[in-house]
Amino acid sequence: MLKVEDLYKSYGNVNALNGVTFSLGKGETKVIVGPSGAGKSTLLKCINLLIKPDRGRIFLEGEEITNPSTNENKVRQKIGFVFQEFNLFNHLTVLGNVMIGLTKVKRIPKEEALEKAREVLNMVHIREDLWNRYPSQISGGEKQRVAIARALAMEPVLMLYDEPTSALDPQLADEVLQVIKELSSMGMTSLIVTHEMNFALEVADEILFMSDGRIVHTGSPTELLSSPKHDLAVRFLRLGGINGFLD
Amino acid sequence: MTSYSFFFSYIPFIVEGALWTICLVGGGLGLGFLIGVPAALSQVYGGRKLKCMVEFYLRFFREVPLLVQLFLFYWGLFPSIGLKLDPLRTSILVLGLRSGAYQSQIFRSAIESIEKGQLLAAMSIGMSRSQALLYVILPQAFRISIPGWANEYAVILKDSAICFSLGVMEILTRTRYVTIATGMALLPYLFAGILFILLTNFGTGILNMIYKKFRIPGLIGV
Repeated sequence: MLKVEDLYKSYGNVNALNGVTFSLGKGETKVIVGPSGAGKSTLLKCINLLIKPDRGRIFLEGEEITNPSTNENKVRQKIGFVFQEFNLFNHLTVLGNVMIGLTKVKRIPKEEALEKAREVLNMVHIREDLWNRYPSQISGGEKQRVAIARALAMEPVLMLYDEPTSALDPQLADEVLQVIKELSSMGMTSLIVTHEMNFALEVADEILFMSDGRIVHTGSPTELLSSPKHDLAVRFLRLGGINGFLD
Repeated sequence: MTSYSFFFSYIPFIVEGALWTICLVGGGLGLGFLIGVPAALSQVYGGRKLKCMVEFYLRFFREVPLLVQLFLFYWGLFPSIGLKLDPLRTSILVLGLRSGAYQSQIFRSAIESIEKGQLLAAMSIGMSRSQALLYVILPQAFRISIPGWANEYAVILKDSAICFSLGVMEILTRTRYVTIATGMALLPYLFAGILFILLTNFGTGILNMIYKKFRIPGLIGV
């Protein structure tokens, strides 16, 4: 589904990505963990072509999307992106936010777009009485679920989540994580950047640890819990309050 | 006929000037809008060269007095390039260029007040940059700009009186004619002042209604 090969990106003298290589199979969920400044968000934005990598190649469904002839807008329609700060469109209602991509990008008739919007809003458990509210009139957790619905409405083949719960309190974060978990279990291919180690262990097929623009360690949750081999993995498991592996 | 009733007979003549004033303000604001929006977008999203050009334009029209600009265009620039524009058209053009410079700053600050992430979010669902600006950024920026735009309306309305210097038959020019014809100054100028107050309140009232109609709950500045 997704193959990232030797990806590099720098901002001036700072190397945000230092040769990242990994792949993600159809229906798989991988979680990226790492300290701030490790290059996690840059990696996601490169995959969605919101940032142009300096070097390296990215393949989506076998097609190289880093090729200069690629239609970036078409590629982005296939990759859902959920931001840390929700980034809902303030002038549109919940329904408007979900429908805008369908009506303006996919040029789907309004009735059909409305039908699709209803379907995805139900998928992310947004109550019908919230559909005509504006972003400022709903909670943070609801905003993030609407942002997920907006991405899902475009029928992406891959979902990218960039720290989707870091701006939320634990209770609201849980609502969002629950939705992401459900989507993953429904077979949505997902790449998630998060600091929520418990969630990562629960949802991921594989966890990638990033540091200084590199993937320094990978492992399945079972492997990590039984014998974490890398210092960074141990540190993050401890930070997540997961100490059982030391027994 | 008493001097008062003599003055009252000229009221329709002054009121007719309000149509010319509205023409100046409408034309100036409209042209200013057409210039101000792309100028603001260039300042926020444009390259270095474009930003420099816009900066030069802004400096000229914000730092040179309106009277100088009117004379420069009417007596200097247009004749030198063989262009014959009447005082009304010249005034609308100059007011529009001047208002465009000020409107660009209203729109620029509105655009910059919208979280940058919204542009990225729009692009992440497959919109091109221009679609993102058209469907996401500008609709919000226009709403945020309405109070500033109402202020610009009031400013250009008052600035329009300076166009009397080119002989445009707006309120002030006609009022001056009446003062000469009647030998009175207090009543005609007071009446002209009241007309400007009415026009200001009428325009800002309409803009306030638009502002309320398109208000977005919770949006900064609205």
